[in-house]
Amino acid sequence: MIPRYQRILFWSLVAGILLMAAFLLHGCEQAHKRLATPNDPTPIAAPTSSSTEDVTLYLANDADASITPATESFALPQEPSARARALIEHLLSTYSLPASAHPLQGGAAVDDVFLLTDPQPAIGARPGQLAVINLRGSFLDNHPSGIQVETLTVQSIIGTLHAAFPQVTAIRFLVDGQPHDTLAGHADLLHTYPATDTTAKPIPPSGN
Amino acid sequence: MNRVAPAQQPLPRTVIFLDPAHGGPDPGAHLPNNLLEKDLTLAFATRLRALLASSGFTMVSTRDADPTVSFTTDQRAEIANHGHSNACLVLHATSSGNGVHVITSSLTPPNELDGPHTTVPWNAAQSASIPQSLSLANEIGLSLQRAKIPVILSRSSLRPLDNLTCPAVAIEISPFTSPDGDRTPVTDATYQQNIAKAIAAALTSWRSRQIPVGAAK
Repeated sequence: MIPRYQRILFWSLVAGILLMAAFLLHGCEQAHKRLATPNDPTPIAAPTSSSTEDVTLYLANDADASITPATESFALPQEPSARARALIEHLLSTYSLPASAHPLQGGAAVDDVFLLTDPQPAIGARPGQLAVINLRGSFLDNHPSGIQVETLTVQSIIGTLHAAFPQVTAIRFLVDGQPHDTLAGHADLLHTYPATDTTAKPIPPSGN
Repeated sequence: MNRVAPAQQPLPRTVIFLDPAHGGPDPGAHLPNNLLEKDLTLAFATRLRALLASSGFTMVSTRDADPTVSFTTDQRAEIANHGHSNACLVLHATSSGNGVHVITSSLTPPNELDGPHTTVPWNAAQSASIPQSLSLANEIGLSLQRAKIPVILSRSSLRPLDNLTCPAVAIEISPFTSPDGDRTPVTDATYQQNIAKAIAAALTSWRSRQIPVGAAK
């Protein structure tokens, strides 16, 4: 006959083993979920003493080819060129988030933004500044190729810059300091784009 | 008294310019299954050409094979413009988006106050044809919708589209994702054939609208 205290000890140990097994399984599942989730490459925001401000980003969506303004709050430098560069970098880094509707690879995309007095404003256009955006070749190398996807990137940049810098009337692109024909084989980068509100919601074909 | 049936007038010659984009050293986009955009646009152009020829269209194409040295976008536009094409289709393919993207040039039509003899810059050659191009894009969009293929009509600054003087659209084939989540790749032959049929039907309908009333009688 097994003494009572030994039976209690035995069942207590069994219960402990079962609890530990359940805890281990739960831990394994959590670790698996963490590893299976796409990595968020967004760098942690550097500590800053400057105050944040509301900025409008024109966000593209590949599924319906729309561009929608969205307000975000973050710190930006005050010097205009550095401000424009930081703004476009922030916009493009948004597209590298796992839930992006217009997925692009992360990493530095813009070398410089120059804000110049437009020497040749279009006939009938109001005088203003010309923004020259110098993109990095590595950004182009990793950009998806296609008319719509490239056009959405260009229009997203134009709309965001236009909202933050209303004095900019025209936008040009360079790549590694040189004129370049296309973004990734399609969208024209030799064209001087008018700086406008690029909000877009394509309408379906109409049958009249 | 015997009535003689009126002789059926032949349809006026309608020239369609087909430009399978990229080619030669320019591969275009890298698509699934190691396929290049230049090869897919060429295969799709071949399908479309066969359907359009059977509908009585005359075709001008920038390439029927993969050349060692391909035409530049300016040379492609010159071929279309010198051929006095009635409609121009620039064919592309991508692995992003859903369905078919029908793209018209983002140029604006010239100001009527400028007069009819204003010199048109090469980079804005398409501007005078924008209303007809939008009409053509709408016709193709409707036909694709009838074929239950998702379609997005949009505008873009794109070569050689901006340099063409004919009514012109770029057609970009992207994968088809059904509402159930089933994904049909751009490489699917049936999917391509359905798109080609829809475009051929749209051009036939568009041609019937373009023919002057007198020409049909």
